[in-house]
Amino acid sequence: MVKIEDLKRINLLRNFPDHLFEIIAKEAQLSIFGADTKLIAVNKPIDTFYMLIMGQVAVKRELTPKIDIILDNIQSGSSFGTSALIKGSTANYIAICQEPCEVITLSGERMQQLFKENHELAYYMMLGVAKQYKRKMDTRAQMIMKTLNENPELKEDINDIENLTLVI
Amino acid sequence: MIGHRRMVEKDILEKIVFLKDLPEPVLEKIGNIAHLETFDEEGILFRQNQEQILVYMLVSGKVFLNCRSALGKSLTLDEVLPGRTFGVSALMGETSSTFTAVCVEPCEIITLSGEKMLELFENDFKTGHSLMLKVVGIFRSRMKMHTRQFLHSLASHPEVI
Repeated sequence: MVKIEDLKRINLLRNFPDHLFEIIAKEAQLSIFGADTKLIAVNKPIDTFYMLIMGQVAVKRELTPKIDIILDNIQSGSSFGTSALIKGSTANYIAICQEPCEVITLSGERMQQLFKENHELAYYMMLGVAKQYKRKMDTRAQMIMKTLNENPELKEDINDIENLTLVI
Repeated sequence: MIGHRRMVEKDILEKIVFLKDLPEPVLEKIGNIAHLETFDEEGILFRQNQEQILVYMLVSGKVFLNCRSALGKSLTLDEVLPGRTFGVSALMGETSSTFTAVCVEPCEIITLSGEKMLELFENDFKTGHSLMLKVVGIFRSRMKMHTRQFLHSLASHPEVI
């Protein structure tokens, strides 16, 4: 059980109706993890959805055995592990605490069960996840367009530029 | 330039990939708030960074999605063909457009008010959930693909690290 005030600090839950906060609050756990704790590991199932209250979490991928690339630095108010809300999938990245972190967790399995019983909760959660993906995709599109503008010759090497758009 | 507007029949909605497999009563509800409109060649549907309040589903014709850089250069990012949906930002209550959409030939397009679609979802959460799940599935697979390509590029050009 967590406080509704803590849930209201999470971007993905912005504009949720109050009665849904009550449902989530009952299901959620508040945990504190030390620096260097690995929350998501490569080739392990993503079974928990994480919402960061305090601290910073790095999302990394191994490029070579000697080099890790940080794909994202998750700050307080942000969330990760959204795959847990959809269906069991295996991680191809590492999520690791960069400092002591206060995190709200939700069991993916339990949330998927709740989605079957409560379509309102399912809709608002998925709308939040879609908005989060859209913001990330927009940021990436802007970065790629800036790079292409500065290096137009690179466009010839890209054969799927259309995937930057949100056409479905 | 906008031509005539009319409500949309189920058989036309069924041509849209995003609406595939929706139950008939849901398609009827969507048909009641949708409009079928015709646009001339070079008609601008929406502009980059401007308010975007409609979702567009292409029935016939062809639309380009262009973006303009800070230096004013235009780049075509996508060529939208019949059956595809664009302008989905309006479905998420986020109204700023990332691209400019322009008809490159005369087009027949279903337009839906994002606000009315959100109202429909709030009255039928099951449909809202299943359509949002579709959106998330597509976005997620594209993000994964971008990341894979990005890492592949870095691995091929380690000098940029």
